[in-house]
Amino acid sequence: MIAANVRQEIHNLLGPRGYLDQGPDLSLYEYDGSIDKAKPDIVVFPKSTEQVAAIVKLAARNQLAIVGRGAGTGLSGGVIPRAGGIMISFARMNRILEIDLPNERMLVEPGVVNLDVTLAVQRDGYYFAPDPSSQRACTIGGNVAENAGGPHTLVYGVTTNHVLGLEVVLPDGTVIEIGGPETDLPGYDLTGLLTGSEGTMVLVTKAWLRLMRTAETVKTMLAIYETTDAAADTVAEITAKQITPAALEMLDGPMLRMVEEATHAGYPMDAQAVLLIELEGLIESVESQLEPIRATCLACGAREVRLAKSAEERDLLWKGRKNAFGAIGRVSPFYYVQDGVVPRTQIAPTLRRIGEISREHGVQISNIFHAGDGNMHPIILFDARKPGDVQKAVAAGEAILDYCIQVGGSITGEHGVGMEKMELMTKLFSDDTLNMIASFKSLFDPQCRLNPGKLLPTGKGCMEIHHAHATPAATY
Amino acid sequence: MSLFQPDSAEALAAALAQAAHDRQTIETGGAFSKVRAGGPRGGAQLTLSTAKLNRVLNYEPRDLTLSVEAGMPFAELSALLATNQQMIPLDPPYSATATIGGVVAANSSGPRRRWFGTARDLIIGMQYATMEGKLVQSGGMVVKNVAGLDTGKLHIGALGTLGVMTVLNFKLLPMPVDTRTFAKEFATAAEAIAERDRILKSTLQPMALDLLNPAAARTLSLSGFVLLLEAGGQPNVLDRYARELPGFAVVDKTFWARINGFTESFLAAHPAGCVVRISSKLTESAPVLTAFAGPVIMRAGNGVAYAYCETPPAKLPPLKCVIEYAPEPRPAGMDLWPAPAADFDLMRRVKDMMDPHHLLNPGRLYGKL
Repeated sequence: MIAANVRQEIHNLLGPRGYLDQGPDLSLYEYDGSIDKAKPDIVVFPKSTEQVAAIVKLAARNQLAIVGRGAGTGLSGGVIPRAGGIMISFARMNRILEIDLPNERMLVEPGVVNLDVTLAVQRDGYYFAPDPSSQRACTIGGNVAENAGGPHTLVYGVTTNHVLGLEVVLPDGTVIEIGGPETDLPGYDLTGLLTGSEGTMVLVTKAWLRLMRTAETVKTMLAIYETTDAAADTVAEITAKQITPAALEMLDGPMLRMVEEATHAGYPMDAQAVLLIELEGLIESVESQLEPIRATCLACGAREVRLAKSAEERDLLWKGRKNAFGAIGRVSPFYYVQDGVVPRTQIAPTLRRIGEISREHGVQISNIFHAGDGNMHPIILFDARKPGDVQKAVAAGEAILDYCIQVGGSITGEHGVGMEKMELMTKLFSDDTLNMIASFKSLFDPQCRLNPGKLLPTGKGCMEIHHAHATPAATY
Repeated sequence: MSLFQPDSAEALAAALAQAAHDRQTIETGGAFSKVRAGGPRGGAQLTLSTAKLNRVLNYEPRDLTLSVEAGMPFAELSALLATNQQMIPLDPPYSATATIGGVVAANSSGPRRRWFGTARDLIIGMQYATMEGKLVQSGGMVVKNVAGLDTGKLHIGALGTLGVMTVLNFKLLPMPVDTRTFAKEFATAAEAIAERDRILKSTLQPMALDLLNPAAARTLSLSGFVLLLEAGGQPNVLDRYARELPGFAVVDKTFWARINGFTESFLAAHPAGCVVRISSKLTESAPVLTAFAGPVIMRAGNGVAYAYCETPPAKLPPLKCVIEYAPEPRPAGMDLWPAPAADFDLMRRVKDMMDPHHLLNPGRLYGKL
């Protein structure tokens, strides 16, 4: 419940249609794409930076927690308002403010949908490279918060490589511009620090994005395998041969059957694994890579290598890939997506270990992932209505991430730590590293009101550490 | 004043903590090749060198990843990677002497940044030592990783003012099968810029695209405004560039070594000289190219330009710029960073947190941090 005076102030600031504070409405904002849930006390819908700043100041005066929210497609519980308080939805800050093609830039508000950035400039031959599978719904603000990836970030890099500057609101309501449309601005790379800070340090109200030229040609291949090992070996071999596809995705047998039944994309129902390989660039460059890739696939044991013959065929294959989570929903009422990363030479043993974990924990696990950069997405199917099933899924997920750490990888490649993987941070990082993260959190958000209870393990959160950094003795 | 060359990251971190405890000022470096980079230096009570932290910790060519200590010379590292046809395509100045840590601390980059990006795009993880004597990790050894906060980004280009990088992890790039360099001379900046715009709007994907003003062109025995482009790939790809770059001559690849070494040779020849680094939008190229009397070399696909001045400029033009390299010692009253932006106050707070007593390379970040 929000206090009446706070509610009234919000009413005065945003008008009667600028917020939601009734139970059934709030239920729509209690979840994201992960498995945790918590209701905010009120959801507000500002339309401008000024309104965001006013709300943030109001929250500061009343010691309320704040959580920013884009489309709620996150997969790590990043927008779950676990401490209640005010949720700031950026749904109404969804304007493209400036399209600047001569400078290969775009200035957008945080609520702009990822795909809409590309759609706005596609006719002119430009695009925005990060392309999360949820790109039809997820927003740029969320992408910046999570440092989102996607299949085509294999060559071109993730969100942090495509964001040059931000306008942010600090937890005390100060509005500040960080970086800008130019590169190599002098001073510390604050844009780089804040991108991927999971909404725990600032709220993003504008972002300068880097646009890229659309490639002259795109070729998509489908390599079909009788074993996942052979497909995984191909990924290692393509990497070792230093061929860099624009995207290199893998679907295992159970996964591709779910996808095919849902989308009829043309995936073979009887295979044990497929690789979706995309090349792009100049025609000559792409043509010259087709044969080495085909040969590598066949040498590693591919049954067949198909080349998409038309844009329609290509789109269908990608539709299958990107709508995979929807396809799973037809088969299993609940699923849990993991996001571990391993070195690319370790994909085959990791898949074998995932198979073992599936058997050990008695849960079905399917795999669909960004193989080219070793970013595994095991999808653990469960039924939340069955007692103990959630716990089994979570335990299996943790076992997978343990293995990723063990082979030199990471617990998250693109989904973020959120509240889901907080406790695992101690397995990946030393106390000194976690304390440094906490120090930065405290520097930006000393009262720990911005997206509290995320990213850092219990006991390392900003309210829980000794604040070692007093006022500096030196002056400038 | 004393020089300490620790042979482990732990010893380096301990030295920082001790100096912080004793309130000693510290200067840090690798090979100290870029002594003229950034703000005032010298006079520190302790000089810390990473020169003995020079081991490759983990190099898995099949994973295209590398973990290396910060004191490894860039040239030695590049030679090692070349044995597997791999590279870290930063093209830094002082490449023969600089360490990889120094390259990253100065955020050095070069012509091929158009296609490959800069250190912030190539580094997948790092370890750095703090003034509290801690060793902190950022990122890891996989090419995609969002666990934790990307605090390492702050150290790239910080000129050692926040901590000392001890280990750097890179994603590696395969070397192109072959390359070809193209050049074209133009009578006016406008014509050169128009051709640059045409190339950027085409489907060509040059690795490097530089624009030189006449004073810079003369040093390469060229004249007028010059567009210099490097393409990589199979011979038929390079032939395609030749077809789509009418009027361009194929020139010797060694031009790039001279471009990359330009800063070093200019500063050696001009002890009182400066290099101004300008961050501009592509649409601001004309004023950037004509604002300086001396040589200007512009990364024409990124808008970052370097202007070479034989004497310190009395006044910098109204562009976003810093004096990246200055005379040694710095002339009194020289303002290297005349117009910090709105985010400067936050940078100051970051510095205060990492180095509360301002002992670490004080003022090295262009006299301001």
